Amino acid sequence: MFLIHCPYCNEEREQGEFSPAGEAFIARPEAPEDISDEAWADYVFYRTNHKGDHWEQWVHSNGCRKYFMVERSTISHEILRVAPFGADISE
Amino acid sequence: MRIEHQSNQQIDRSKSLTFIFNDKKYHGFEGDTLASALIASDSLLFARSFKYGRKRGLMAAGVEEPNALVSLEIGGRYTPNLKATEIPLYDGLSAKSSTNPNSFDLRAFIKPLHRFMPAGFYYKTFIKQAVWAKVEDSLRSLSGFSEAPTEEDVDVYDHVHHHAEVLIIGGGAAGMSAALEVLNNSTNERVILVDERAKLGGELFNEFSSDESASKWHEESVADLCGFAKEQSDRFTMLTRSAAYAWHDQNYVEVLETHATGENLSSTEGNQPRKTLHKIRAKEVILATGAHERPMLFEANDLTNIMLSQSVRRYLNEYGVVSGKKVVVYGNNDSIYQTAHDLQNSNIACTVVDVRSADAANPVAEKAKQGGIKVLQGYAVVKAHGSNGIESIDVALATHQGDSWEVIGDSESLSCDLLATSGGFNPVVHLDCHTGAKAAFDDVSQAFLPQKDRANRQTCGAVRGIGAWQDASIDGKNKAQLTLQSLAVVSQASNTDLSDNSANYFNVSEFFTPKAIIDRPKVFLDLQNDVTTLDVALSVREGYRSIEHIKRYTAMGFGTDQGKTGNINGIAVAAEILGKSMAEVGTTTFRPAYTGVDFGALAGRENGGLFDPQRFTTIHDSHVAKGAEFEVVGQWYRPWYYPKAGENMHQAVHRECLAARTSLGMMDASTLGKIDVQGPDAREFLSRVYTNAWMKLAPGSCRYGLMCNEKGMIIDDGVSTCISDNHFIMTTTTGGAASVYATLEMWLQTEWSHLDVHLNSVTDHYSTVAVVGPNARNLMKLLCQDVDFDRENFKFMQWREGTVCGVKARIMRISFSGELAYEINVEANYGRYIWDQVATVGEKWNITPYGTESMHVLRAEKGYIIVGQDTDGSMTPADVNMNWIVAKNKPFSFIGQRSFSIAALAGENRLQLVGLLTKDAAVVLPEGAHIVDNKGKSIGYVTSSYFSPIMGRSIAMAQMQGGLSKIGETTIVKIVQEKQGLKEIPCEVSGSVFYDINGEKVDGND
Repeated sequence: MFLIHCPYCNEEREQGEFSPAGEAFIARPEAPEDISDEAWADYVFYRTNHKGDHWEQWVHSNGCRKYFMVERSTISHEILRVAPFGADISE
Repeated sequence: MRIEHQSNQQIDRSKSLTFIFNDKKYHGFEGDTLASALIASDSLLFARSFKYGRKRGLMAAGVEEPNALVSLEIGGRYTPNLKATEIPLYDGLSAKSSTNPNSFDLRAFIKPLHRFMPAGFYYKTFIKQAVWAKVEDSLRSLSGFSEAPTEEDVDVYDHVHHHAEVLIIGGGAAGMSAALEVLNNSTNERVILVDERAKLGGELFNEFSSDESASKWHEESVADLCGFAKEQSDRFTMLTRSAAYAWHDQNYVEVLETHATGENLSSTEGNQPRKTLHKIRAKEVILATGAHERPMLFEANDLTNIMLSQSVRRYLNEYGVVSGKKVVVYGNNDSIYQTAHDLQNSNIACTVVDVRSADAANPVAEKAKQGGIKVLQGYAVVKAHGSNGIESIDVALATHQGDSWEVIGDSESLSCDLLATSGGFNPVVHLDCHTGAKAAFDDVSQAFLPQKDRANRQTCGAVRGIGAWQDASIDGKNKAQLTLQSLAVVSQASNTDLSDNSANYFNVSEFFTPKAIIDRPKVFLDLQNDVTTLDVALSVREGYRSIEHIKRYTAMGFGTDQGKTGNINGIAVAAEILGKSMAEVGTTTFRPAYTGVDFGALAGRENGGLFDPQRFTTIHDSHVAKGAEFEVVGQWYRPWYYPKAGENMHQAVHRECLAARTSLGMMDASTLGKIDVQGPDAREFLSRVYTNAWMKLAPGSCRYGLMCNEKGMIIDDGVSTCISDNHFIMTTTTGGAASVYATLEMWLQTEWSHLDVHLNSVTDHYSTVAVVGPNARNLMKLLCQDVDFDRENFKFMQWREGTVCGVKARIMRISFSGELAYEINVEANYGRYIWDQVATVGEKWNITPYGTESMHVLRAEKGYIIVGQDTDGSMTPADVNMNWIVAKNKPFSFIGQRSFSIAALAGENRLQLVGLLTKDAAVVLPEGAHIVDNKGKSIGYVTSSYFSPIMGRSIAMAQMQGGLSKIGETTIVKIVQEKQGLKEIPCEVSGSVFYDINGEKVDGND
């Protein structure tokens, strides 16, 4: 069970207050009807399943209900950074 | 027997306690464990073994004990499979062996069959289901341990959350020393020390009789720690009888504290918890969990009164009990001489058999000899003899040549009534490995030691191979300093050197696994699961190489002791057979829980009425008064049906359905999920998340919508109401409300943040009363005067604002039954008032409240789907024949639209929603029954099935392969009937709308 810092509430809270919401930066294609079945399937089904530092989405479902981004190591499960959507995450 | 006048550390001889074990009365002292009290009474037989029914006694004195499983107390305090070594004695205690050792045991009777029950026996024998079905009952009654409890637990359990800078796990010399060092060198840091035993000290008590400085150090350290606990209670917590059983990410450790056991929790203590689950989050963890001794291997090493050497010592020193008068101490390291020394001091005859050769000078052995102890160096025990416990052993010369041991020459017999063995020490690395650390084999200590250099954790003492208590306490200090440095409390950690000889676990020799021993029968590795060296050999012969596979094939370490005494020896035997090193074979994976955890403790207070939130509509009391039966839907308690006196469910539903179809029914629809959608882009938003069009829906109108996910699969449906151009109220299914709301928020926040739309969950802001039936309009006219209910002026799928019985209301003309119907929405707290008014005024038309069951029948008659019942997350709108609701030309490609055109979803042989009419109208198909083709293969299944009162026949909805093209055909549904077995029911495939196919009823009769 993680402790997660919610960037909106600005509090570190129990994981039980949050829900995971998949990999971050999966953008919905702008014109779904114009792309191939393969490209659409890539968006709908395929994820990187990355080993290492990984950006994912979480939502403070039993709190402020805001979605935000979490950079987490999928090896050590250490939470490295949290950021609201639109934040500059380049280092 | 109890040794008189023996000084001992745990028991209070002035307080005598009485207890019952296996229906016999015994006495013990305050401070005893059940195990030590039974040794004092010379009651040494505890169990029959799992597979072979062999008699078993105590092997150890703590958590690692494999044999002495008992059930404690009866009724609501009954607890199965506790270890006698861990149960503190209390007056009136009552316990039973998990497997009665005294009763006739069929397994002992079939002893000659042993060789027919090797590893993999069950896999091989019962691969044919028919065989298994015949013998399952009798085999199950033979296997296993205590019986499961049959009564509800009468005790309460608590959960407590802690945050600390430093958590120290283990209160032996290393852990105590570490805790004191942290406390002495910090002022604000919060510190928690946990230990599984009743008193701090770990293995240190064993040193008291031979080392005065040990007892002095212990006394002072305990006093200091108690001082901190008292004076700085805001930052120091000391938990004894508290087992850390799981270590999760981010140094989150779960600890189970036992307050009292069974009847000991007297009624005067009221609602005190029996156990507390501590959930500790620590910045730094210091692991000082010590080591468990492992036994030596030889034939019949499972006889009663063959025990671990340090456990014999612990019983002697702490409880003043010993289970023999003529003892042999056997092992491969210097710790056995300490046991011999302590036995000699208690005037108990003992002989040492040391497998290590006398060639290398050993001052410890020399000292024992000078003290008059008989020592056999370079000898091995090859076999134990005895019927009701050990009577003698065979010893033979052992040599260590090159990499391997050998046993040479003839054996000679040595009589004894207690054999204490030590094959070295297994560090308790379990917790350390829970978060992914890998234990590494160390040749010097002949042990798997914790992984080095892990962030925010330190290990000290015996868990990292340091045997002597003085070194362990120094190590604890050093690691405490490193911890303080990591916390930036000290800038530079100080370090004190350990003794030169600190890291070799009492000069332990290599694992004694010569072929001459491990090829013998009955050399037990895992005593709880009856796994022998021959089982390991067999699994290797049958092709298993990984220790993880060998473990699973032999079931080694599968018991409640998790193989604490047996697994590492098992790895050594596998290494010997495979010709590999210990490091190459490696360990199996250590997983939580380290030791048994009560289900009650895991549940804590979250059981009974607090197990799950219960949600009630404001109308609930009226339903109760009307005698409703309830069903739980998404935590809501919804009326299921309203039986009148003498009615069963079938009769009540029959009456309710006919009332709604022929005159007037009413239903509490308040639980439907409601989401308030507001903003200039509200229409655009609905267009994107629903399959149909929303741009032209006028204020004052309602529209049904179907929601899909990006895979094109139906996830929800419901009616949305246009309040104004910028304001809609969406309804969702009762069970899907929370997940739909979360999904909509996700789209808005992550993809469409530019849309000016705001959502709010308003499910419980409104109460909804549905009035349903041909007389609904007549009733509404009486209830509400400021709305024109004329059929042309207030059409189906429209809503009006009005005043119902003096209460402001939104009235929607929507229908989930196909009948003329209105849903009256009022501010939630007026719900019951409106319900009762409707019921009173409606008496004129014999208004009949109906529940979810009748609702399901009415909607099924009309072929309306229930998302989650007629769909399962793999159904597209086309699959349920609802392409009419999929817009083709919306400018924005709505959620799921693109998926409709992928090839996999276009197949005509997909499961499609159809109706089924049984040829025999009286037969109601069971939901879930399979439709089969002429070869008996499943081609679909029944999703909804009811008896329709208005039609006087059964109706069913089903998912059927290519079903829409088979309408009018006859098909077969296979059902299982009680006592009659499989039966084939012929059915006609039909459309899924059964009643009022042209939809003429929705406007009513007038």
